[in-house]
Amino acid sequence: MNRRNFLRNAGGGLGALALAEIMRASEGRPLDHPAKAKRVVQLFMSGAASQCDTFDYKPRLIAKNGETWDPGEKVELFQSVPGAVMKSPWDWKQYGQSGKWMSSLVPHLGSCVDDMVFFPSMISKSNVHGPATFLQASGFILPGYPSMGSWISYALGSMNKDLPDFVVIPDSRGYAPNGPGNWSTGFLPAGHQGTMIRAASANPIYDLNPPESAKYITKESEKEGLRVLAALNREHLHNREDDSRLEARIASYEMAARLQVSAPEVMDISGESAATRKLYGLDEKITEDFGRNCLIARRLLERGVRFVQVWSGADNGFPRRNWDSHEDIAKDHGQMGTEMDKPAAALIKDLKSRGLLDDTIVYWTTEFGRMPCSQGSKGRDHNPFCFTSWLAGGGLKRGVTYGASDEWSYKPAEHPIYGYDIHATVLHLLGINHEKLTYRHNGVDRKLTDVHGHVIRDVIA
Amino acid sequence: MLNSVVIPVVFVAVAATLYAAAPVSFHRQVRPLLEQRCVACHQAERGAGGVTLATYSGVRAVLARLVPTVSGAAPRMPKAGKPLSAEEVALIERWVAAGASDDTPAGFNGASWWSLAPLKPVAPPATASSWARTPIDAFIFAKLTEKRLSPSPEADRRTLIRRLTFDLHGLPPTFEETHSFLADRSPDAYEKLVDRLLASPHYGERWGRHWLDVVHYGESHGYDKDKPRRNAWPYRDYVIQSLNADKPYAQFVQEQLAGDVLFPDDPAGVVATGFIAAGPWDFVGHAELREGTTDKENTRLLDRDDMLMTTMSAFTSMTAHCARCHDHKFDPIKQEDYYSLQAVFSGIDRADRPYDTDPALHTRRRVLLEQRRTIMVELQPLLDKSAAVTSPEIQELDKQLRIWRAEKDTAKVDSGNARRKDLVLVLLDPPTRAALEKWNAALATVDARLRELPKPQMVYGAANIFPLSGTLRWPIAPRPIHVLGRGSVQSPGKPAFPGALSAVQGLPSRFDFAANGPEGARRAALAQWITAKENMLTWRSIVNRVWHYHFGAGIVDSPNDFGRMGSLPTHPELLDWLAIQFRDTGGKLKSLHRQIVLSSVYRQASDSDAAKSKIDAGNRYLWRMNRWRLDAESIRDASLAAAGRLDLTAGGPSSEQFFFKDDHSPVYDYTRFDIDSPGSRRRSVYRFLVRSVPDPLMERLDCPDPSTMTAKRNSTITAIQALALLNNPLLVKQAEYLAARANGDVNLLFRYALQRESTAPERELLSAYAQKHGFANAARLILNSNEFLFVD
Repeated sequence: MNRRNFLRNAGGGLGALALAEIMRASEGRPLDHPAKAKRVVQLFMSGAASQCDTFDYKPRLIAKNGETWDPGEKVELFQSVPGAVMKSPWDWKQYGQSGKWMSSLVPHLGSCVDDMVFFPSMISKSNVHGPATFLQASGFILPGYPSMGSWISYALGSMNKDLPDFVVIPDSRGYAPNGPGNWSTGFLPAGHQGTMIRAASANPIYDLNPPESAKYITKESEKEGLRVLAALNREHLHNREDDSRLEARIASYEMAARLQVSAPEVMDISGESAATRKLYGLDEKITEDFGRNCLIARRLLERGVRFVQVWSGADNGFPRRNWDSHEDIAKDHGQMGTEMDKPAAALIKDLKSRGLLDDTIVYWTTEFGRMPCSQGSKGRDHNPFCFTSWLAGGGLKRGVTYGASDEWSYKPAEHPIYGYDIHATVLHLLGINHEKLTYRHNGVDRKLTDVHGHVIRDVIA
Repeated sequence: MLNSVVIPVVFVAVAATLYAAAPVSFHRQVRPLLEQRCVACHQAERGAGGVTLATYSGVRAVLARLVPTVSGAAPRMPKAGKPLSAEEVALIERWVAAGASDDTPAGFNGASWWSLAPLKPVAPPATASSWARTPIDAFIFAKLTEKRLSPSPEADRRTLIRRLTFDLHGLPPTFEETHSFLADRSPDAYEKLVDRLLASPHYGERWGRHWLDVVHYGESHGYDKDKPRRNAWPYRDYVIQSLNADKPYAQFVQEQLAGDVLFPDDPAGVVATGFIAAGPWDFVGHAELREGTTDKENTRLLDRDDMLMTTMSAFTSMTAHCARCHDHKFDPIKQEDYYSLQAVFSGIDRADRPYDTDPALHTRRRVLLEQRRTIMVELQPLLDKSAAVTSPEIQELDKQLRIWRAEKDTAKVDSGNARRKDLVLVLLDPPTRAALEKWNAALATVDARLRELPKPQMVYGAANIFPLSGTLRWPIAPRPIHVLGRGSVQSPGKPAFPGALSAVQGLPSRFDFAANGPEGARRAALAQWITAKENMLTWRSIVNRVWHYHFGAGIVDSPNDFGRMGSLPTHPELLDWLAIQFRDTGGKLKSLHRQIVLSSVYRQASDSDAAKSKIDAGNRYLWRMNRWRLDAESIRDASLAAAGRLDLTAGGPSSEQFFFKDDHSPVYDYTRFDIDSPGSRRRSVYRFLVRSVPDPLMERLDCPDPSTMTAKRNSTITAIQALALLNNPLLVKQAEYLAARANGDVNLLFRYALQRESTAPERELLSAYAQKHGFANAARLILNSNEFLFVD
């Protein structure tokens, strides 16, 4: 049964016009060209994950470890003055057919390299966490702009009848810098807001269920209540027949009831096999949290959610609870990297084994990179000039690297790109021309990519 | 000129039947068409592909290519949007075929865009209709007649009082108020109701909230480290009180931009500058980045960008902020205009600022604070100089000081600091040392006198001096502003001086006189420019905003944008008539409201009418009243009101309806909060507004993100919104209170929530349901009903 028919039936015979109002949010717009992918999962490393300790192998850092760093120009750092060249505390080796070098911090991702596309020449426009996180999340360094997931929900509409189009799973330790502002719908209609699932909380979705104190609200009271409410609302329609919003509201309660059933189901991972649970690292303390979130992400994608955003890392406070390792890379990246590696790799493998990777894009990013020199003696300061993102899945080449950083992993050496270009490419794969996906707000046709962005055709299969 | 923009539309009908009739006018027909469809890209200077279609000579230069480019099965132009219609192409074709003559009148300056044309005095159309009560009705009626439409009958009285009360107060009327209005047989019953509502302080709370949307007022900084602004609320109260006092609009504008300069002895003048500070602020960029870095400069650039965007969008409905990287792509706004506006705000930052509610005390403190700033202007560079002085001995002492501080040994820290001061003094050159001592002494005198005054109140506003913290520095003089190549702080071009938009004819667009004075002169000059009688934008902007909030759509349906990307006015003559009336009668908003709500247009029913819907489904010509879904604040307030729980206390610090923990990034948690606490009963306009973590209930009801300016709220209907209305703890609690208040009487539920008696079938339905599932559940259904949530 298609979505329209479902809604017509669920709404008790509502006319097609009456449903236009609520459907407008879920219908999307026509595709600009055939799509190669249908959905996206974004893994966002909050705090700035170091490229030169994970994916960007630089023999020179090993050779020059401890020596004075001279990249041949004045270096403007966020907090510190440049320290000595610092090699990664992790070893490197080559993986897969593609021979991609990966650090021993991310061995599980190493086993997936032949499915991944790396972008080691990413640049940010800010070296401050807040604006830079916004830039990757919404394409602007200012608050108040719609996030990527909201744009995609707005563009493509819904593929499922009873879950939101855009779901966000924050780190259970707290919000990344900017808080829920990172998944704001901005000026797009509220229906494209990221729906937050706090997977570790007793009430994972706000107001999904009545407060516990209200014992009088039961399954039965709700079932009959919606019938009575619909009757009141139908009576109210008299002389207001042409107002589609009024019928849309009646339908919205039917959809809400569906969501109450489907949301707990999608978050309940008890039915997953032991092998799957192990794959995501649910049997180990350090990977349990992010692993569960990645597994829930897969379940959401499977059920047709368009865009799932999973966060690794909270704010930049102390003790460190995200990737902002100014003080001690080995310790703090050691923690974050180990938490992330196995579950992220599991997500790729699991999607692949279920045939979902062919039309699902896995998009791993962070707000900027870290410096090849040391801060203090063991940490690394921000590097807005160079960082790595990677993609995997729907419509993409496999086992390739696009662009390159310089010998230090300090600045791009080849094909410098911005988050705009990744956004444009992801939209392209979804069948959307990033220059045509616009929404007029206060006199400007706003876009996710602002006035920037080029589709990176070299990585499209 | 105003008529010219609609002519192509009229022509569509004519062209088909009367081909080769009257000759086509370039000025009245072709130019407006090109302006709407082509000039956005092919502008006067640097038009796309070297082609400009903004001037006759530009069009002439590409005349042979013009028609082939826009016609055919797959026309090459326009690149954006749908192709020109066959009629539009035919129009251009006929003009070219007839010789493409130029009939532009002498003296035409190119600023033909409707919003930049001077206000045009027009008399309301003569009408014989008895329906037209007021001049507004005459304008509307004429247009309805032209469109073969007719007005709807007047709404019933219950609808009228509910509509008026929500519109003017954001609250429902009580059942008693409704009942007595229904019973009032006097001929001026409606007028009395309007006057009562406009005289109530709730009017300011409702319309103040609209203004706070426009200026994107929030009470935390936004970004990372989203610290609360616990002194923002006096600006919110200022807005509410100003509206309640019916302050002339020009004064309202002037105070918000430069009240501290133009009305120095009025405490409200300082509080009103909360306008400039209302938007987000990047704490890390301002207070942690080092001076002289690119990111620091960028932080300040974007901070001023927010100030000028807020100012120009809110007061003039122009998108000046779109000219940061290049001349405005669509409107006649030069990049130099943009940087002139940057220069207006280059002498201030956002910070807490002292004021006193007692005007005499306020003045005493102001004089002392001005003296203090004069001293600090001399002293601060000396302090900076001495802070840079160092020696091995000082370095050694600094090491010790760090240890003592860590050990919290205050005695040692104090004596160490004193010794450090002496060590530094010795190393300074004698003239610096003498100056330092002199200004330090002067500062001590003023500070002693300031200490004698009672503690001031603080408001988060525009400030040109404030305590240093981190790398945050106050501007000793306005920071130099340059025109930036492609908007990049790394490509400074020629210096920019304070000014405004050069496209507004009849007003000086550069404030040269203010460039060398104190920074406040710049803001004062901009305030004067905006509120000048000749500034057509200002007066059109505000009357259109007011119209928008009364009807749900403006005469111009893009209240923040009167440029080419915005909408065109549906009733241009009415807009100008309202603007002139408003401007010339003292700029009193209450008179404007009165004029609008007393009209027959406003009093219409909102019922369906299939025949009229066929002609104008969107009701742009107002053949009926628009029904609206209550906004987030009204839903919350109306639920509290129905429950008999609404606390109508006005003003003061905002009610923090979340758990708060200060941290690197502070924690705001709405789930760890007792929604039954007294603060939760306040009107929604007094909620504390966090930028990074919005209240989940309000967000789902389309309460806008205070990081973005909102001229028009969205009104959506979603499943997740239905869940919030059903299950949000605050709303569930109100259902329980409503049930207790009605005490088992279904009819009372209707009276309290819907201001009417119930019908027998309604009573039967709900009683049966309540009997099975409890009266609170029945009350909850009423609070979820469309009748509760919509206003006819």
